[in-house]
Amino acid sequence: MPRAQPLPPAIEVNGVTKTFKDLRALDGASLRIETGEIYGLLGPNGAGKSTLIRTLAGLLTADSGTVKVLGHTMPDLAALDQIGYMTQQPALYPDLSVEENVRFFAALYGREDDGVQAALELVDLASRRQSIVATLSGGMRTRCSLACAVVHKPRLLVLDEPTVGIDPQLRAEIWGKLGEMAADGVTVVVSSHVMDEAERCQRLCLMRAGRILAEGTVAELKKLAGVKRLEDAFLRLSAEPAA
Amino acid sequence: MSSRRVLAITRRLLQQFRRDRRTLAVVFVAPVVILSLLGYVLRGGGSGPKVDLVVEDSGALATAVADHVAHDWDITVSRTDLATARSDLDTNAIAGYVRLPAGFSDNALRSRVVAPEVIVQGDEPGPATTVIAAMQRATAGALTALVSGPPPRLAPTVTYRYGGPSLDTLDYFGSAFIVFIVFFLVYVITSVSFLRERTQGTLERLMASPLRRSELVLGYMIGFSVLGLAQTAVVMGWSLLVLHIHNAGSPALVFLVVAVTALVAVNLGIMLSSFARTEFQAVQFIPLVIVPQVLLAGTILPISSEPGPLQVISNVLPLTYAGYAMRDVMIRGAGLDYGPLVLALGVIAAVAVVLIIAAGATVRRAPA
Repeated sequence: MPRAQPLPPAIEVNGVTKTFKDLRALDGASLRIETGEIYGLLGPNGAGKSTLIRTLAGLLTADSGTVKVLGHTMPDLAALDQIGYMTQQPALYPDLSVEENVRFFAALYGREDDGVQAALELVDLASRRQSIVATLSGGMRTRCSLACAVVHKPRLLVLDEPTVGIDPQLRAEIWGKLGEMAADGVTVVVSSHVMDEAERCQRLCLMRAGRILAEGTVAELKKLAGVKRLEDAFLRLSAEPAA
Repeated sequence: MSSRRVLAITRRLLQQFRRDRRTLAVVFVAPVVILSLLGYVLRGGGSGPKVDLVVEDSGALATAVADHVAHDWDITVSRTDLATARSDLDTNAIAGYVRLPAGFSDNALRSRVVAPEVIVQGDEPGPATTVIAAMQRATAGALTALVSGPPPRLAPTVTYRYGGPSLDTLDYFGSAFIVFIVFFLVYVITSVSFLRERTQGTLERLMASPLRRSELVLGYMIGFSVLGLAQTAVVMGWSLLVLHIHNAGSPALVFLVVAVTALVAVNLGIMLSSFARTEFQAVQFIPLVIVPQVLLAGTILPISSEPGPLQVISNVLPLTYAGYAMRDVMIRGAGLDYGPLVLALGVIAAVAVVLIIAAGATVRRAPA
């Protein structure tokens, strides 16, 4: 989203490679994400989305290339209290209540006092705060996981396939919340292989085999591929040899 | 009932075992290792308790008894003087000493009572009994050769340095078992909870937060130590107040020993959990890590009776020192001015520090 005054980019990734044994998960990936942008990583399973996400979250070190997040060269412990990270599967303590989980993550960031109530309201779980996580539905667990990721009011939110297995109504609600956060200046990076989600991102990149095939707004990608639907653009651009 | 369905379950289980090489290894290798270890401990030709022999009488009976004692298979005897024997006893170098005082032979012939002096540590049940039995055999052997007519009566004066005949088997083993029970349960609970942290994905989530590995390990350590101490309080209360296990020392010191050992268990649990992918595999470390410690740490069998090579292993196991420290306090009534207790505590603490560092190092930022 263009902003009144130019801000430094939230994320700059330059020529990053990452190899696991024989598998080259990232193969010279480069991208730049502006502050306050909702940015989507789109690609089939095994494209390298999760590896890139985990590199941005400071969990993996690139073999070569540079990853700069909020001005820090990753991995850097100092950047981590500015980043909110949500894993693909909700990572929660099933025997604790919703509030206990959120409060625990708040404490890790030293935000036990102010963030918990706001995070619970954001994901609409304030009325279920006493519920034990093990008794919650999958959708509620995902919401609880999101609350844990945002409780410390991060400047960057990194979400790995956040709405997998969530019904369409709730998915729309969560995207509404992400939009509100982005409007407040939070940068949101989302990985997905669901077109419906990708359409909601302000900009997208298409990934395959560890490379970034194309980057732009939804309209730009459709135009680039010469098709009307994002799914067709994805299929056509993926079919071409990687640049 | 359908035999097809039953067979389907059986076949599936066997297929799963075939894929899980590690489980197979534990199922077949662990019993062989454990039984071999037990066999080696019991039959490995370990030397019997070390005994000093002080002969202050030059009579024929004393010479004969000394000769028989020196050739007894169940004890290892060295001839020495009284001062050396006393100092050996003080430094725990021997299980006890036998003194044949001046006039031993004459008194035996005159009053028909054979009265050797037997002084034993008394902190373990085995050695004292073995020494007394060896004396009985030696005296009987010497008498049949020397004395005709009805044999004189054997009436050794037995002095226990610690404990004594009033202590029963539970008194001796209870002290080592208290610390073992806490060690074992704290280890199991920690390793399974830490593994769960990995398998439920929360560890990855923690590693993406500003939490340092050292903070994670320390937090775990304190949490499970609190649990371990509460458990110790219950175990101690039950042992002392209900079972009346002998305790000559300070309960606070017992607490200290158990607390430091619990630290070892917590960090061992964290470290080993990184070598397991499932809770099932974590539990498999029990026959590999815990059972050999039970056999070798003097919890059941005295270390002094093990074959030499096994004693070397025993001497590097943290539980060995925990057992020593517990016996020092509970049976010997030792305090912090007792060198061996301080040494044992120091060794356990040092192992804890090494394991804390190792546990911190195995918590990877990026769990595989």
